[in-house]
Formats: sequence, C-alpha cells, structure tokens
Amino acid sequence: MSVASSNWYLCSRLWWRRLGVMTINELLQLSRDGALLFFFIWSFNANVFLSANDMKLQLTNARFVVHDADHSVASRELIHRFHAPLFRFDGEIAQFDEGLRILDDGQAMLVLNIPPRFQEALAGGEQTTVQLQVDTTNSPQGLSAAGYVARIVGEFGSEVAAQRVGIAGAAEDDLPVIRSEHRVWYNPNQTEAWFQSVVELLNMITVFAILLSAAAMVREKERGTIEQLLVSPLTPFQIMFPKVAAMTLAILIGTAVSLFVIVQGVFHLTVKGSLFLFFSMTALYVITTAGLGLFISTFTTNQAQVGLMTILVVAPMLLLSGTWTPPEAMPKGVRYLMLLSPLHYFVDISYGILLKGIGLEILWKPVLAMAALGGSLFGFGMWRFRRQFA
Amino acid sequence: MNLRRIAAVASKEWRETTRDRMFLTLAFLIPFVWMIVFGYGMVLDVENIPYAVLDYDHSALSRDYLYRFQQSRYFDFRGSLHDEREIEGLLAGGSVRAVIVTPEKFQERLVEGRSVNVQTLVDGILPLRSDITRGYIIAINSAFSREMVARYVARVRHLPLDQAQALMEPVRLDVRYLYNQAVKSTWTMAPSLVMMVLSLFPPLLTALGIVREKERGSIYNIYSSTVTRHEFLVGKLLPYTLISVINILVLWSMAVFLFGAPFKGDPLFFFVASVVFVLCTTGIGLVVSMLVKTQQAALIITLLIGLIPTINYSGMFSPVSSLTGGAEVASYLFPGRYYANIVRGSFLKGVGLNVLWKDVLILAVYAAVLRTIAFHLLTKRPRT
Repeated sequence: MSVASSNWYLCSRLWWRRLGVMTINELLQLSRDGALLFFFIWSFNANVFLSANDMKLQLTNARFVVHDADHSVASRELIHRFHAPLFRFDGEIAQFDEGLRILDDGQAMLVLNIPPRFQEALAGGEQTTVQLQVDTTNSPQGLSAAGYVARIVGEFGSEVAAQRVGIAGAAEDDLPVIRSEHRVWYNPNQTEAWFQSVVELLNMITVFAILLSAAAMVREKERGTIEQLLVSPLTPFQIMFPKVAAMTLAILIGTAVSLFVIVQGVFHLTVKGSLFLFFSMTALYVITTAGLGLFISTFTTNQAQVGLMTILVVAPMLLLSGTWTPPEAMPKGVRYLMLLSPLHYFVDISYGILLKGIGLEILWKPVLAMAALGGSLFGFGMWRFRRQFA
Repeated sequence: MNLRRIAAVASKEWRETTRDRMFLTLAFLIPFVWMIVFGYGMVLDVENIPYAVLDYDHSALSRDYLYRFQQSRYFDFRGSLHDEREIEGLLAGGSVRAVIVTPEKFQERLVEGRSVNVQTLVDGILPLRSDITRGYIIAINSAFSREMVARYVARVRHLPLDQAQALMEPVRLDVRYLYNQAVKSTWTMAPSLVMMVLSLFPPLLTALGIVREKERGSIYNIYSSTVTRHEFLVGKLLPYTLISVINILVLWSMAVFLFGAPFKGDPLFFFVASVVFVLCTTGIGLVVSMLVKTQQAALIITLLIGLIPTINYSGMFSPVSSLTGGAEVASYLFPGRYYANIVRGSFLKGVGLNVLWKDVLILAVYAAVLRTIAFHLLTKRPRT
C-alpha cells in the first residue's frame, strides 16, 4: 500500500469520525435544551392527538330548533328524522320571529319552519313548502347542514309521493329514479381523525425541520461556541451537516413515535403503503427543508428571533401545501405559488403512501419535484452559511 | 402610582421595541403577512371539484344527465373514461376527486319507469370536502329523478306535467342562508383571522418584551429602582397594547377592504370589545412572562396557549356545539370562544351590545383576573 493511499485512508477515517462526534454532540445538545425538548415531544404527541381528536369539520351535533305550526303526525314524523350524530334537537319555538332571535344569539344553527296545514296538504295531494334558516357565519358547516336537511326532506317527500301514486311498500324500482350509490375511497368510514392527525404530523415535521436546524446553529452563536468551531479544523460542511443529520434523526424518531402511537395506535389508521418509503421520503424532506433553517440562522442571533422567523416562514408554507385546501380550490395565482412549496409535494407523497397506499409508480413526479426544489433550497442555505465564514 | 414613572417605563419600552428590528417585524409585519397568507390560502369553499365520467350507456338521456354536472359551478369536467381500470390511477394521482359511472340500459330503464343505480366514486381524503361533494351529487341526482318521475307519472296517468310535478314533489324545501347569503368562505375566514392574529401576537410581544429584560439582566435595574410593581406592569403593557390597538385597525381594514367581508355591526362597539380582548391576551403574555426565564420558552408556551386553543376550541373551524368532553371545557376556559362570538356577531350578524354583553363582560373579568395573577407573581425580590 502506498503512503498516499494510507494517508487518504486515515484522513477519510478522521473525516467520518469528526462527523460522527459532531452529530452526537448535536443530539446531546438537543436533549439538554429543556424548553425545546418539551415542545418537541408535545408537538409530535399531544398536539397531534388533540388536533385530530377535537377538530371536527364534519357536521356533528348541529343544533336545530323547530317552529312547528301544524303539530300533526306528519310534522312530527319529519322532525324525528333529524337526529344524532348530525343534528341535536333543541326544542320547539312558538313564534316564527323567535327563530331569528335564537340565530342571532348563536343558540342554534338551524331553524326549521313547518307551515300550518302541513299534514292536510300532504294528504290532499297538494304541494307544501318547508322553510329552513341556516346560520352560515361558518360557511362550510352551514352548507353541509343545508345539504343534509335537503336530503332528509327529499327522502320524506318521495315516500309521501310513493304513497300518493299507490306504490308504497312496493320497491322504489317501480319509479324512474336515480339511486345514488356512493363509494368513498381511501377512507370509507370518513374518519376525520385520520386526515387531521396526518395533516398535523406533516405540519409538525415542517415546523421542526426549520426550527431545529436554525436553533442548533444559533445556539452556538448565542453561547459564543461558534468561535471555537471556527478555529477548529472542521470545514463548514462538517459543522453544518452533523446538525442537519442529528436533527433529521430526531425528527424521524418523533415521526415514528407519533405515527405508531398516536396515528395508528389511537386513531387506528391502517397504513396502506410502504412505511420504508414514507420514512425515506420524510428524511429527504427534512434534510432539504433544513436548508431554510440554515438560511434563517445566518441572520438571526438568538433563539427568540429564530422562533419568530420560523413563525413568519412556516405559516405560508403550511397554507400553500394543500393540507387543508386542495389546489383546485385555491385562486389561480396562489395555485402557481404552491408549486414552490416543498411541503406541497411532501403532502401529496404522504397522503399517497399513508392513506391511498400507492407507491413510486404514481408518486415519482412529486418525489422528483420535491428533491429538485429541496435540493436547491439546501444549496442556497449552505451557500449563505459558508459566506458567514468567509 | 406615579404617572411620570409609568411614562418613563413606557417610553423606554417603546424605543426598545421600535429599535429592535425583530420586534418591529413581529409587531407589524407578521400579523399583516398572516392575514394575507391565511386569507388567500385558506379557502373552504368546495367548488370546481375535478371529476371524470364513465358512461356505459352512451344514450341521449345519459348524456343529458351527465351534462348537468358540467353545467354546475361546483364541478369541473376533466374528461370521459372508457374503462373502469382508468379510475384508480386518476383518483390516486389526485387529478380528479370524483368519478360518475352511468350503467348500461340507463335510458332504457328510466323510460320504462324503473330505477337505475348510478355509482359515484369519491376521494375521501378530506372528509369535509367529500361530504359536501356527495351532497352536491345527491342534489343533482334528486333534481333529475324528480323530472323523470313527473314526466313518467304525467304519461302513465295522463296528467298535465305541472300537476304531476306537484303530486310527486309534495314537500319543497326553501333554504335561507342567513348572515352570509352567498355562503362564501372568505366571509367566514376573514373575521376569524382577525381573532386568530389578535390571540397570538399581543401576548407574544408582551411575553417576549418582559422576558427579554430577564434574559439580559436589565430587569435588575427595575428591581432596584423606585418604580413600583404596578407602575412597571402598566408602563410595560402600554406600548404593547398600543401596538395591538393599531393592529386591530389594520386587521379590520384588511378584512373589510381586502377580503370584502361585510361589517354589519357597530364599529365603536367592535373596537372597544377588541381592546378588551387585547387586554385579555396581553394578560396571558404577562402571566407567561412571570413563569419562564428565557425568550425561547416564552415563545413556545405562548404559542401553545395562545394560538392552538383559539384554532381548536373557539369555533373557528369546528363549531363549539360539536365539541364534547375535555374540548368543551377547554372552549370555556380560553378567551377565544367569547371573542369569536363578538367577531362574528359584529361582522356578519350585525348584533351589538344587547346580544354580546355577556361575552364582553366575561372577557373583561378574564383580563382583570390575569392582571391580578401577574401582579402577585411579579416580585422585586427574586429567589435566584
């Protein structure tokens, strides 16, 4: 073996050793930062649990009152069809005007007005109109509630109609109607917690990918230990990469605990795709997004500033990612901006793997886009970071 | 209380805040950016649902039926399929959210007076959206069914069409959307965003401003000075409250002029109630600042108790009536719930003090209690 090659061997061993030591150093640092560690554990567990458990965007317990001017068997029959879990019957009111007051007070979301002579009209073959007042201060809820009421009243109506033409009891097959057969894919029981917990997990991965990498750098500045690093025989890459690696490791552990304990354990999501693929993609996403954190660390001097900058940067990223609002619902201009957010692709990839059970054969496009975008982000962060040493 | 000393503390605080670039950003830029980003990005309207059709019948009637989806502003036609096997790839890739499949003999059966099953496959990843999508599909299906039935009954019973229609549709539903007639989600979101921003940034400013002194050690100047605890708290809070009051005006203008949300209530009442809410949230920041030692910890704790309960428990997305158990208790404990009533009442409902007095009163008591707690936690003789 020549001297040159054994030298090269020693150097590369030293290089890797330094990298390893620095990574362990970073992990220790993180484990001793009490506030940050608490926040980390809280976010990946309690926060994911609480948001999935408490965020109910689907209609539940919509409070409704009835102004029944008929008080007949037919009107009661209709009222009884509004029940839990969608609706909560909060009693009857005597006057029509009272409904508006109750809605103003926010004591009910829906007021159903059944006209006088309701039963008589139904029996006599006439047409009658039921009025619904919906509080749409919360628009998706109002819309959803109105949709359900329309369905219930529609079904009631067609039963009455079937009786009128004398085919009650016989199959509805005898009328030319369209029967809607719905099949809901990927989440057949429409368990909202599946979606909410995955969304929150992805959000937390993003927050910490930026926050931890920036905090790790700034911690050195704050304590003045950066001076020691600068005079050490470490290259900027050897200073920076262990921070990113340690943080990626921490986030992967957090993600694994959150996914297995909260998302799968508590909310019983059955992961359909490959977990190995999901964790590799998470690692790729975290490493590349860390570029943003490094960038932030170049112009901040303490942890509080890092926190604020993270708040400033993360909010647009979360929103432009399509977690809550899919691209087709966004205004056109915003839709193009979404293409610039690495999270947008990571969301597609994660939903694909975790909820839809698809693999790279369909996901290769977002994976490539995320790698390219993230790679340039990381390169940019690295470039800014190096300039600090010059 | 000595007014001169309060003024001295306040002016020192004001200068420190305006000279610190980060604080200035936090005070004025981030609330503005949040309002823009969330206002434009958080769209809850379910419109332009991308869908595809698979028509096995290829008849005039099935085309007529499918055309109704094309006409609806809720659906966005993305093409016809020829094979069932194409469906999976489209839904999995996210390029369509729904597929409508009309069976063979669609026309034949309907003309004979028999029912047909139309299958719809819906992407269920976002449950609220798939719920609303299903609602739209059912609405189109029932309207089409009603026409079919009326025509059929008219033909079989030899009735005029309108009479058959009245016969077959005994109950009509007349829906009145109150407070937000066009059911626009921006009208819902813009006022809620005012609340969200006001529940995070005022306490954050306050907490960081006070903890900053602890971290730097300049708080010892206060400990040894003649400034009393009351004077310190009032002086410290004045600039942050002032900044937040400016923000109320900025956020309100953005909600009304930028996002076009209607403001039906009394501006003066809303302003006063918002100031009470700001006093409340700065109080939260104050209490946090008494309990922690570093700015980093202050930031984290304020985020956890300022922002997250507001998003989860104030009725911003899920109405408070749908909360149960611990979440319901939490909704009463945090001030967001009460201010949410004030915000929606003032913007959309046009109600004022006569309806909302209870909420304002609770917020005022809340603010007073927080002040008292903070006053008792503040000591000029720290243990360490």
